[in-house]
Amino acid sequence: MTRHFTRRRFLQSACITVGALTMNLTGIEKALAAVTGVGPMASCDVLIIGSGGAGLRAAVAAMKNNPALTVVVVTKAMPSRNATCMAEGGINGVTDFSKGDSYELHCYDTVKGGDYLVDQGSTLKFCELAGPAILELDYLGMPFTRAEDGRVKARPFGGASKVRCNYSADKTGHIVAHVCLDEALTHGVKFLMDHELLDLGVDSGRCEGAVLRNIRTGEISPVRAKAVVLATGGYTRIFWNRTSTPYISTGDGVAAAMRAGVPFKDAEMIQFHPTGVVHGGVLITEAARGEGGYLLNNKGERFMKNYSPSKMELGPRDIVARAIETEIREGRGFGQGLESYVLLDLVHLGKDKIVNDLPQIRHVGKLFENIDLVDKPMIIRPTAHYSMGGIAVDKFDDMSTAMPGLFTAGEASCVSIHGANRLGGNSLADAVVTGKIAGDGASAYASAVGYCAGRHIADLAGRWRSRFKDVTDGGDAGRMYSIREQLGARLWDDMGIFRTGDKLTALTRALVELRSQYDSLRVPNANPVYNSVFTEYVELGNMLQLAQAACLAAAERKESRGAHTREDFPVRDDANFLKHSMVVMDDAGNLKLRWEDVEITKFKPEERKY
Amino acid sequence: MATLIIDRFDGKKHYERSYSLADEDISGKTLLNTLLLIKQTQDPTLNFTASCRCAICGACGVRINGHAVLACDTKMDELFATYGADILRVSPLANFTVISDLAVDWEPSIDNLRKIHPGLAAKSEFSPQDGCRQTQEEFDRIKKQWDCILCGCCASECNKLTADRSDYMEPFVFTHAWRAAHDSRSKDPLLHGKPAVAGGLWNCVHCQECANRCPKGISSADDIAGLRAMVMAKGMTEGEGPAHARSFYTDLVEGSGRLNEVRLALRTEGVSTLARTGMAITLLRRGKMNPLEVFGGETIEGHDALVKMIEAAHASEKE
Ligand SMILES: Cc1cc2nc3c(=O)[nH]c(=O)nc-3n(C[C@H](O)[C@H](O)[C@H](O)COP(=O)(O)OP(=O)(O)OC[C@H]3O[C@@H](n4cnc5c(N)ncnc54)[C@H](O)[C@@H]3O)c2cc1C
Ligand code: FES
Repeated sequence: MTRHFTRRRFLQSACITVGALTMNLTGIEKALAAVTGVGPMASCDVLIIGSGGAGLRAAVAAMKNNPALTVVVVTKAMPSRNATCMAEGGINGVTDFSKGDSYELHCYDTVKGGDYLVDQGSTLKFCELAGPAILELDYLGMPFTRAEDGRVKARPFGGASKVRCNYSADKTGHIVAHVCLDEALTHGVKFLMDHELLDLGVDSGRCEGAVLRNIRTGEISPVRAKAVVLATGGYTRIFWNRTSTPYISTGDGVAAAMRAGVPFKDAEMIQFHPTGVVHGGVLITEAARGEGGYLLNNKGERFMKNYSPSKMELGPRDIVARAIETEIREGRGFGQGLESYVLLDLVHLGKDKIVNDLPQIRHVGKLFENIDLVDKPMIIRPTAHYSMGGIAVDKFDDMSTAMPGLFTAGEASCVSIHGANRLGGNSLADAVVTGKIAGDGASAYASAVGYCAGRHIADLAGRWRSRFKDVTDGGDAGRMYSIREQLGARLWDDMGIFRTGDKLTALTRALVELRSQYDSLRVPNANPVYNSVFTEYVELGNMLQLAQAACLAAAERKESRGAHTREDFPVRDDANFLKHSMVVMDDAGNLKLRWEDVEITKFKPEERKY
Repeated sequence: MATLIIDRFDGKKHYERSYSLADEDISGKTLLNTLLLIKQTQDPTLNFTASCRCAICGACGVRINGHAVLACDTKMDELFATYGADILRVSPLANFTVISDLAVDWEPSIDNLRKIHPGLAAKSEFSPQDGCRQTQEEFDRIKKQWDCILCGCCASECNKLTADRSDYMEPFVFTHAWRAAHDSRSKDPLLHGKPAVAGGLWNCVHCQECANRCPKGISSADDIAGLRAMVMAKGMTEGEGPAHARSFYTDLVEGSGRLNEVRLALRTEGVSTLARTGMAITLLRRGKMNPLEVFGGETIEGHDALVKMIEAAHASEKE
């Protein structure tokens, strides 16, 4: 697509260029740009980064809120390649009150599931919006599996005291992602595809816009925006090959927000799913155990009898995950190092059952491990699955951060709704609900203010351009991949399911070392066109930064709560740690930790028992 | 030892590069793993796209020896067995503009999707506050089409797009129009049908390649036939396409000697079945379609074929 857009083409196209965004300037703004010396700069009212459920919902909300605004969605890949499309189970929200369910009960389950590290006022509001969001999705065309009366059907889900996990067969997230994309396209949302967020600019404390890299051409440009929404998804890829999340989940938005001075909240809170494939961490859904699968150690024992005798394999995710890791650690697993595992045995269910009811799981077994689950047990190990932590949200009502002009939504953000442990089905609801709120908030804000001059993004863009030149000037990409592998392995060993002070201290040192290797890294590809090595380089930098922040918070949280298990501090300590960790980066790039109170309204902390 | 020959493009020039791979490194691995291995150990400049690595995000469509596959859902061993060779050619999807190596430009496709108004416009009895009502059967009718992951495999295989991209949209775009139009909650199927016509609905050449290579088993060809029947039934009967369709059905019925069965099918199934059956018959005549793949089992010929196809269509409608 050419850089020269006519106004007409701009209005008609779904995909635009950064060049097209300079057209939006009024005469006054052009004059201003000339005076401030930054020249005419691409500008748009609301700039949304990320095209998962959260980003797409934000875009539509922003446009509806004020149709006069230019709203643009930036995404580093094609819009539908995100984490949203990978969710299988369902999306929580109370729509049926006939069997005693209520928003308040949804809130209670969420608070308890999150081990009380949950801001209760915001979470109640979230639950009050999640129910109506399901009905709205239905209206927007989401095909749900249906109940007898033609309404949306729900299934029971982990940690929920009532049936409120609404679903669409076994691909709810895929359907949510495409409904949101369809809605955005239908509404005329504009996309900057294959554009990567590099940094945010700050002018006297206010967010002035972003620096974007067009991956296709290599061009690096500052884009001014009255409001920016970060909806870049989670950062769970820091565990590199031991995660169920997609390659895009490198936490770029969280990292950019930190560099701009916004706190990273509850960074240490990362959820582990008990059953991932050994090679690469792809998820094996709970259905495998739900249908009667056994977990076996190298003695052939159903070891869950020692951890959760009543529920056996169907215990809560964190308990099952810890049980598997304990077996491996105490020598009752198979394999070595990162490739250690236990068995998930379905053979006794019989061929018919497996072929008919669990075809997807059988397929995953064959694809990743060359195992046909009809004949042999699958080899599995827990896998990092979801980031509860994220960009600190200041006000849930508009999903604003402490920085004026900067908003956030979805897995990139941390309200906190999910606390120390997210309930299954709550994160799709989070993406859809907070996305819409952030879109409204950003739109209202952008309607009331003018542009900043854009000096800082202009300056940052210049620095990124020289960085590209320096970094791509020869060198050895193998070193980069090796740093990435080491990062994942070290995090898994030292900040995985079991953490101790000693391990975290060692990890802190290891991360400093990896960081210094990274800082001198050069990669051999100077071609600006679709330079994916450079994209990986940028992502690795972000992941190292986020890993350091998470490690700092994990080391200081001297208690066990939800997904964060400290063997040296095995119990929850509400007196000292019923608090959110906030990691902030100062101007010199140093990380500082402070604590912030949890908002407790109705539900007094009690022991989390199921 | 195996070899992958990859078609490369660096933004300026097209070239190819061969990569040798030791058997133990790729045996049991997927094509995506193999591409990652090449990138990480042999050539970091190699570009391709992938995100979910489990066949749901649609990012990793490429061609192997000319045929579209999802790299993450294809095993190397199977490829070697299918092609009976240990040298394979990997190319970017056809009928897309290549940006670099195996990465292609999705912008025109996204714009086409926008044109058919992919979002549902719900009937007036429904509201955003109370949602909609739909029966499980009505949900089941559209759920296959909702499996589309926008991987582009159908577009890569499409003979019509290869012949001329200027007056035709990607097959998956028609599938998206079909699913919006055939949703029981939709107030106006023509909202999606009209732009489908404008986007070349009548230009499909019925080669069925899209259906043969869809990793999710969707038949855009069927959806195109269904949309044609729908727009005709809704009165969009002007133009060359519908005229052809009409005379073709007449020919078919008169020439078949099985007038009654066809009439019967018409009465019980409506125009849609006949449209689909019609499309399949043309292909059989031209020897372009392999009935084995579409209807499973044995080769069928002549008039019997018609009966079987009507039955098959009948059955599939019921499923
Ligand atoms: C295997 C799996 C199963 C799951 N199952 C469930 C479930 O059953 N129920 C449930 O509720 N949740 C589930 N989840 C979690 C849920 O899918 C996610 O938390 C949620 O969809 C996140 O949505 P999002 O919009 O915030 O982010 P994402 O969908 O991850 O979108 C992030 C977007 O940001 C873009 N982006 C990232 N970095 C940049 C950058 N630098 N520049 C430009 N763009 C960028 C990406 O390209 C992407 O478009 C599951 C997750 C996984 C991985
Ligand atoms: S990587 Fe997502 S479909 Fe292959």
